[in-house]
Amino acid sequence: MPDADLIARHLDGDPQAFSELVRRHRDRMWAVALRTLGDPDEAADAVQDAFVSAYRKAASFRGDAAVTTWLHRIVVNACLDRMRRKSVRPVADDELLEAAERDAQLPDQTAEREVSLEVTAALKLLPADQRAALVLVDMMGYSVEDAAAVLEVPAGTVKSRCARGRAKLAPILAHLRNRSDLTRVSSAKGAELRDG
Amino acid sequence: MTGDTHYDLEILAELAEGVLDDVVAADVRRHLAVCDPCGESLADLAAVREVLAAVPVPAMPLGVTMRIDRALAELAPPAPVLSTPVSLGVVREDGTVAVPERRRRRLGWLVPAASVAAAAAVVGVAGLLSSFVASPLGTVAEPQVGVGTPDRSPQRAQVYTVRASGHNYTSRELDGPLLGYFGPEPGTGSNSDEQLDACVQAKSNELDRAPIAVDRALYNGNEATVMAFWEDRSLNRVRVVVVDDECGELRPDGLATWN
Repeated sequence: MPDADLIARHLDGDPQAFSELVRRHRDRMWAVALRTLGDPDEAADAVQDAFVSAYRKAASFRGDAAVTTWLHRIVVNACLDRMRRKSVRPVADDELLEAAERDAQLPDQTAEREVSLEVTAALKLLPADQRAALVLVDMMGYSVEDAAAVLEVPAGTVKSRCARGRAKLAPILAHLRNRSDLTRVSSAKGAELRDG
Repeated sequence: MTGDTHYDLEILAELAEGVLDDVVAADVRRHLAVCDPCGESLADLAAVREVLAAVPVPAMPLGVTMRIDRALAELAPPAPVLSTPVSLGVVREDGTVAVPERRRRRLGWLVPAASVAAAAAVVGVAGLLSSFVASPLGTVAEPQVGVGTPDRSPQRAQVYTVRASGHNYTSRELDGPLLGYFGPEPGTGSNSDEQLDACVQAKSNELDRAPIAVDRALYNGNEATVMAFWEDRSLNRVRVVVVDDECGELRPDGLATWN
């Protein structure tokens, strides 16, 4: 059953319809929230807030966008709200350089988990808007246009945010550039994104 | 360009993303053709995308899934409490519908005298609540010696709430929380149906506790009496007993939550 039909059934009072919608999309929503916030507890709160919000305002879904886009928008906004409340400040250039030097001294660990931890730490150094754009485009594999729809900004704005975010991350993550395990993981990830 | 020698990373990133205007982009490309360090920086930028894409997508932890399910369950409207019984069928595995045979019985709240039995099993969540409201300390269904027929009160006579909602309970509903299904209903009383009284008393004796309420209803399409007993009030745990008209168990006793 299409997602939009589940929304309609939910609005008609079907108690199982929204649960099915959650089941279908919870992993991707969790990934977006976790990557955007970088903290599992914060991500759990944000995803819960988002699903509760979606449940309550399902009637506002007008079907002119995909349900996934609508849900992503609610989740991303929940994340951004939490980030703003915590007053995450943009990082200064000297902090970026210090982080780059610190990371460069780490041993060459090949575990995916180490890459994930390094990326999570690096993303926290970015302003919220750049982080959200990079999570959607580079990490979740959405097109710039889809990310723009989620973030409700022009595609050019998404591109600019991604460019500025990558420029800040490059000194920190460049040491991961030629890792063999990265290539392997990336290929698997690429296939996953390609095949849905 | 930094120090009139190299372009900074942001310009190179914007070039890669295609957001530079044509004139600037042409200048940068000419520079890249002869500048190895800027070429290296461009490769670093490409690596950022590669690294970000390589991070595995985590599945939502079970704990988070459960708390979201609970949060959404609290938003769900309670199942309607029927004021008159409705005979609902159940779909068998072969796709046919089994419609329960209804016997003549008293509908609505039964408020008679019951001597009753020792413990009344409850079923009517509504009854549960009304009892709670009446007895805030949890002494619902206090024994009322002398009410009803003493000769049928081997241990203690008591009053319990009997309801005849006719609601067709499912196993999931009877796992609780029960408050939304039963809700407050008027009055408490006991049952004049001797057969029911005997059954409630038997279950009450078996569990050695008084029932909170009893509901004459349906369970998966079959006529049933549902009884509720406190299992552990401090933990909000309720034992639910479901029996047929012959006092035979329609399912093993289950534990539910009240709210």
